Amino acid sequence: MLWVDKYRPKTLDKVLVHEDIAQNLKKLVTEQDCPHLLFYGPSGSGKKTLIMALLRQIFGPGADKVKVENKAWRVDAGSRAIDVELTTVSSTHHVELNPSDAGFQDRYVVQEIIKEMAKNRPIDVKGRKGFKVLVLNEVDKLSREAQHSLRRTMEKYSASCRLILCCNSSSKVSEAIRSRCLNMRINAPTEGEIMKVLEFIGKKESLQLPPGFADRIAHQSNRSLRRAILLFETCRVQQYPFTSNQAIPPMDWEEYVSEIASSIFKEQSPKRLFEVRGKLYELLVNCIPPEIILKRLLYELLKKLDSELKHEISHWAAYYEHRLRLGQKAIFHLEAFVAKFMSIYKGFLIETFG
Amino acid sequence: MGKGKRSSTIVISSSDDDEVKDKTSVRLSKSAPPRKNPKRAKKLTVSSSYSSPFQNSSAIDFDEWRQSAVATGAVGSLTGQWEHEVAVKFLHDDIVNQICEEFDQGFPQFKVTSDSSGNKDMWVEKYTPSCLGDVAVHKKKVEEVKSWFEEKLKSNADNSFSNVILISGQAGVGKSATIYAVACHLGMEVYEWRTPTPTIWQEHVHNSNSGIQYMSKLDEFESFVERIRKYGLVSASLTRVSPASVVLLIDDLPMVNGKVSYGRLQRCLYLLLQSVRLPTAILINDYGRSESAEQHSRYWEELQSSLQNAGAYKVTFNPITANSIKRALTRICRLERLKVNDEYIDFIAKSSEGDIRSAITSLQYFSLKPHPLDTLSVLNSVSTYPEEKQTETNRLDDRVLLPFGKDATLSLFHALGKFLHNKRETGSTVPSDTDVILLKEKFSRCPIKMDDPELVLCQAHGQARLVTDFLHENVLDFVNEEAIEDAWVVGAYLSDTDLLLTPSSKTWEAENVLQSAAASVAVRGVLFGNTSPLSSRWHAIRRPVLWQIDQSLKHNKNQILSRRLDDTTSASLYSHSTLATEFNPALKWLGHRVAADHQAPDEVSFDEDDCDGMSVDDEVDDDEIEEW
Repeated sequence: MLWVDKYRPKTLDKVLVHEDIAQNLKKLVTEQDCPHLLFYGPSGSGKKTLIMALLRQIFGPGADKVKVENKAWRVDAGSRAIDVELTTVSSTHHVELNPSDAGFQDRYVVQEIIKEMAKNRPIDVKGRKGFKVLVLNEVDKLSREAQHSLRRTMEKYSASCRLILCCNSSSKVSEAIRSRCLNMRINAPTEGEIMKVLEFIGKKESLQLPPGFADRIAHQSNRSLRRAILLFETCRVQQYPFTSNQAIPPMDWEEYVSEIASSIFKEQSPKRLFEVRGKLYELLVNCIPPEIILKRLLYELLKKLDSELKHEISHWAAYYEHRLRLGQKAIFHLEAFVAKFMSIYKGFLIETFG
Repeated sequence: MGKGKRSSTIVISSSDDDEVKDKTSVRLSKSAPPRKNPKRAKKLTVSSSYSSPFQNSSAIDFDEWRQSAVATGAVGSLTGQWEHEVAVKFLHDDIVNQICEEFDQGFPQFKVTSDSSGNKDMWVEKYTPSCLGDVAVHKKKVEEVKSWFEEKLKSNADNSFSNVILISGQAGVGKSATIYAVACHLGMEVYEWRTPTPTIWQEHVHNSNSGIQYMSKLDEFESFVERIRKYGLVSASLTRVSPASVVLLIDDLPMVNGKVSYGRLQRCLYLLLQSVRLPTAILINDYGRSESAEQHSRYWEELQSSLQNAGAYKVTFNPITANSIKRALTRICRLERLKVNDEYIDFIAKSSEGDIRSAITSLQYFSLKPHPLDTLSVLNSVSTYPEEKQTETNRLDDRVLLPFGKDATLSLFHALGKFLHNKRETGSTVPSDTDVILLKEKFSRCPIKMDDPELVLCQAHGQARLVTDFLHENVLDFVNEEAIEDAWVVGAYLSDTDLLLTPSSKTWEAENVLQSAAASVAVRGVLFGNTSPLSSRWHAIRRPVLWQIDQSLKHNKNQILSRRLDDTTSASLYSHSTLATEFNPALKWLGHRVAADHQAPDEVSFDEDDCDGMSVDDEVDDDEIEEW
């Protein structure tokens, strides 16, 4: 088992980061009925951990007994029936799923599952919580239609089920949904907090941490706790005992992106653009989401860029990120961004150096 | 005499061959050397001529014959059937020979008397090439086929090599004609598998009422192949000829849909290939394979390559050149004693796009016009117009105006070539019209050397998504090395196109408009953006890599997601992006098993050759290449 899963705190009391939020959540569910919740924050900040702990707080240990399965739904959509298959994680009290995996059929999933859950409402034996919880991941990736239908189903079935939504950016979730939920912002943990967690794990695994090592991992993790722990475990596999100047392996795709960036800096021509396209394909094919590629690429490009151009380039990155979302084929927009960058950068070079 | 004829008519209508009549209802129409050679003429290409009201001037034989037919009371109904019946099915040799002789006696005369009254004959049948020289197919190809057959004849049937030749090509490039001509030349007889006529519903109802089971065409073909394999050609008519001098011709492979029946056909052909003793020719039609990303054409290509791998010899026929068609048409005109303007023939030849069958039919249709004078005037107006404006585009328009000939379709690659090469008028850029809005320098472009891009698109039947993908894949090759700005402009337009093409559920009605708008934006964007296209002469047009990427992306995503299912240790679902960006790299470092199958699997096999082969010449408009 990976350390990320192994050292995930099981209860709200045991969490090491966001202790205040955990305590608030605990108060919230013990005192009164739970409202719909929307957790948002950067990846690796502990949203999932909090949600799991919260479920356990509500339902007791029963929430831990989960089974993972592929579930198929047959949705009747007017004239035709649509078959949707999704992976779900469920216990007797909750169901967790990624509706955005269904692609453009996501709205049927949302409607149908909530309806189904509302139908077989758990019988409330001991007078305890008479509702089920539906955990929806990646709500920000849902299409506008799906979000819309989510809103209505939320209202309709709010008596029998609670929704816990989880996403990275609340700006991509529609206002209507946001206002119907209690919004919980989960910040990225500070480097200090990450170091604390790493030291905790080190102690549990009885590892010797040289001074400054946890610091470096925390720094390289980009304030993502998950990544920090993964890096930590990777380092443990690569070399133990640790030395304080041990190399910390970078993510392969990030390295690849920085390669792309430097090749863009070297030459600006249609031919180079074509090569870049090939590299972008390579990344895409390995399931790196185009938004993340674009973001990372911008980050790498800005590193070496003259400050004069930074504003303009960021503008175009944002422009094409938006189009990426509206459009269908990511490569068109990624490539247009690269071409724009090349064009601007080349103009700049000619202007400065003649 | 009369009796013989009577029975011949029965043969025609009911195909009364003992061997053939049984449940399979396979019809082996035996045909062979054309009528010029009376001794061997067994293929009776009975066409509508026999049903035409015979002129007094026609041969006495026919007149007499017709009267005898009238006497038997058969003429009214039978002539109608004859019109559709192309090849005569066989009964017994003696009767057949008898008929043949009668026909042969009549035929030369008939042919000679072919003045305007003989026009009702289908020329395509009438002028089927009878000797190798007459075949309009390129000599090398004919030679190739001939030498293959010669080799088969020499080495006889018992060698281990496959006895199958595979001929592919467009419709009307003379595939079957070549086989017949070669067979005639070598003194072989052709047995042709004719696809049984489709069962109509009433027939089906009747059959099922009378207890006959329905067989699909594929079933019938299978049982035919089965019989060929087991017994060879056992037929009453075969007693005289040695098996070596027989060619089995499979012209029309049964149509298949779906994987299962396709698999059956493939297996069936494979068996045939393995075991057939006779030299066999299988003809395959390429239906505009350039345009299709669809499943169907991929099936056919797979089929062809699998047959080839199994040892079949493949010959590909290219479309017939305009010059060859012209020659053939001129020959027909000469034989028909028809005065047709050269330019006109030229015109038909060009518009037929290498389909000689359609060219001949066009010619016949043209000569059918009631008043030759009228046609001449039409002709004049047609032929003078191009002289006024010699541009190719105007010719294209003319084609559309004419009431016959093929529709001027462009292959998709042709159209893409036009867009990518982006040829423009040089010289004076300033338009003479005063009411044209004056554009800034950087927005003005020279006029393009083609029709409206939309028109070209329409002729190429390009779908927006398809065209966009192809343009995206290939456009960078055509952008000048220095002009990164251009590359961006093009890229920006393609990005716009993608937005337009993204289906949104709100605008079902607008979908069509959006599609064409998107195609227009893509094409015009490419034309506009690429200010100084490379003047390279030759470029292969690649198939979009994007398709492959999309497919493997889907595959990889599913794999990642399904792995999540296996990995029950983690209690919560990670999104695939988290898995891809954070877990996978880490797992790779950890030497987890995941590392092995993380490489982009290339299960989706693409037939590389079907796009590599398609290249667009710079001079796309002049395809007057005589030698291939």
